[in-house]
Amino acid sequence: MAIIAIQNLTYHYPQTTQPALQDLSFQVEEGEFVAVIGANGAGKSTLCYALTGFAPHFFRGEMSGQVLVAGLDTRHTPLEELMLVAGLVFQNPGNQISGAKFTVYEEIAFGLENLGVPPAEMRPRIDRIMALTGITDFANRSPYALSGGQQQRVALASILVMEPKLLVLDEPTSQLDPIGSREVFETIRAMSKQGMTVIMAEHKLEWVATFADRVIALANGEIILNGPPAEVLTSPLLIEHHIGQTRYTTVAKQAQAEQLWPPERALPVVIDEAEAGFRAYKK
Amino acid sequence: MPDNLSLYIERDSPLQRLNPLTKLAISFSLILIGFLGPGYWLATLLFICVLVPLSIWGKIGPEFLQRTVRLILPLALFLFVMQSLFYPGGRTVLWRFWIFSVKLEGVQFAYLTATRLMNMVGAFLLLLLSTHPSTLMTDLTRRGVSPSLTYILVSTLQIIPQMRNKANTIIDAQRSRGLETQGSVRARIGALLPLVGPLVFGSLVDVEERAIALEARAFKAKRVKTSLIHVPDSVRQRQVRIGLVVLTLVMIGIRLWPL
Ligand SMILES: Nc1ncnc2c1ncn2[C@@H]1O[C@H](COP(=O)(O)OP(=O)(O)OP(=O)(O)O)[C@@H](O)[C@H]1O
Ligand SMILES: [Mg+2]
Repeated sequence: MAIIAIQNLTYHYPQTTQPALQDLSFQVEEGEFVAVIGANGAGKSTLCYALTGFAPHFFRGEMSGQVLVAGLDTRHTPLEELMLVAGLVFQNPGNQISGAKFTVYEEIAFGLENLGVPPAEMRPRIDRIMALTGITDFANRSPYALSGGQQQRVALASILVMEPKLLVLDEPTSQLDPIGSREVFETIRAMSKQGMTVIMAEHKLEWVATFADRVIALANGEIILNGPPAEVLTSPLLIEHHIGQTRYTTVAKQAQAEQLWPPERALPVVIDEAEAGFRAYKK
Repeated sequence: MPDNLSLYIERDSPLQRLNPLTKLAISFSLILIGFLGPGYWLATLLFICVLVPLSIWGKIGPEFLQRTVRLILPLALFLFVMQSLFYPGGRTVLWRFWIFSVKLEGVQFAYLTATRLMNMVGAFLLLLLSTHPSTLMTDLTRRGVSPSLTYILVSTLQIIPQMRNKANTIIDAQRSRGLETQGSVRARIGALLPLVGPLVFGSLVDVEERAIALEARAFKAKRVKTSLIHVPDSVRQRQVRIGLVVLTLVMIGIRLWPL
């Protein structure tokens, strides 16, 4: 069964005439890793909010169509119930630290306390998640005394410990340096390998190409492409809608124009494919 | 730079292990008795005979004294200068120079006020130095104080240093663009203006994101919250707290209706 089923979703923020999302329909299977790409203002964040119920519950606004997450209709399910099913991690790591706690360990416990989990049950859950996200060493530090990448992993851990069925990430590395980004991406990939369903809005296409099982491209609130990374990321529509392409695709396209790329060979989206293509041409 | 504004000093002592409410009761009864209780020397006695021994019991004696003095000294000096010179209705002149004269009543009044303030500052510091804010908040929440209220208290403690860092970052950025942030007062005030925009606008965006983050952690869930930290309490401590309330009332009573 699909863990996410969206039917004709249209959403307007309050007091806006232009819809932020327009007639979206798609499904996501359990365990899938789906990347959402799009130019600035395309609706990536809004889609993340719609998947977690913040649109419309938090932002209000007008929504039509249906969003089913793990069988729950987001419009008729209170936010607190949805939080048990779909966890949201977003861009700014500092703003995701609750501010209610003084150590990383307590910070991760915060969600569990709010859910009323018995203390004896909390500790093993927290320990496991801290190991998984690689933050065990910071347990007794203040969450504010960490680097951006470390903070973002604390934010991830704080959501994961609540054991959602689905992880929604809105450009989780856009505020991080390359090292921090790598740490966070590796953590997300590890979660995905363990079977977690992941939906990630992301503009770093090289990472999308290596991670995603499927890519959905948005433009002006509409889905323009939905398919395997190799197909979506090499589509000419991406350039048309200012989404860009991976540097491997760019290089291969230039090579193709100068007859330096094997004819009939698909354009690459990751470095290995690019390398293989050029080697094949040489032969 | 400290992580937050918490003054807590981690020590293994019986004072630190007391239930936070008990320490809260001790602090507030000391402050109330110091201000409203009878006798000129009461605040002095409370400080020397109660607060100092308690701080030693809590293994935070030196830190306690140092911080109290550092906070109270400038204030006390100011009080002495102002009151000894300008206390209205002072008659007994101790000594005079030029157009000034120091009056006994003024000195006495300054001493009384200064010791009461020292007692108050000391009582607060004893509580803050020996109590981890999480423990205090956990205990208050467990006793029915609204989680939103305790959240506001704790997050303020944490957000102020964070804002300060952010302000410094913005100042650095402005400075690297050649903005004057040192030098004359005028230049510095001028330099502060471009800081206001990013700080305020940034904070508005932050507020929305923080609200989402809190929701995402089920902060608003209508469930009975649990707590990671167990804060111990005892019947004996409960009795002590009741005793302190009674004692405070009695002391204030003695002042109001002296025998
Ligand atoms: N709170 C809001 N109120 C009104 N309109 C909004 C709000 N948030 C976003 N929008 C509008 O909705 C549209 C989609 O915005 P959204 O933030 O989802 O885009 P995005 O793809 O996440 O962009 P970015 O890459 O900049 O993060 C934009 O036109 C934007 O101006
Ligand atoms: Mg966005």
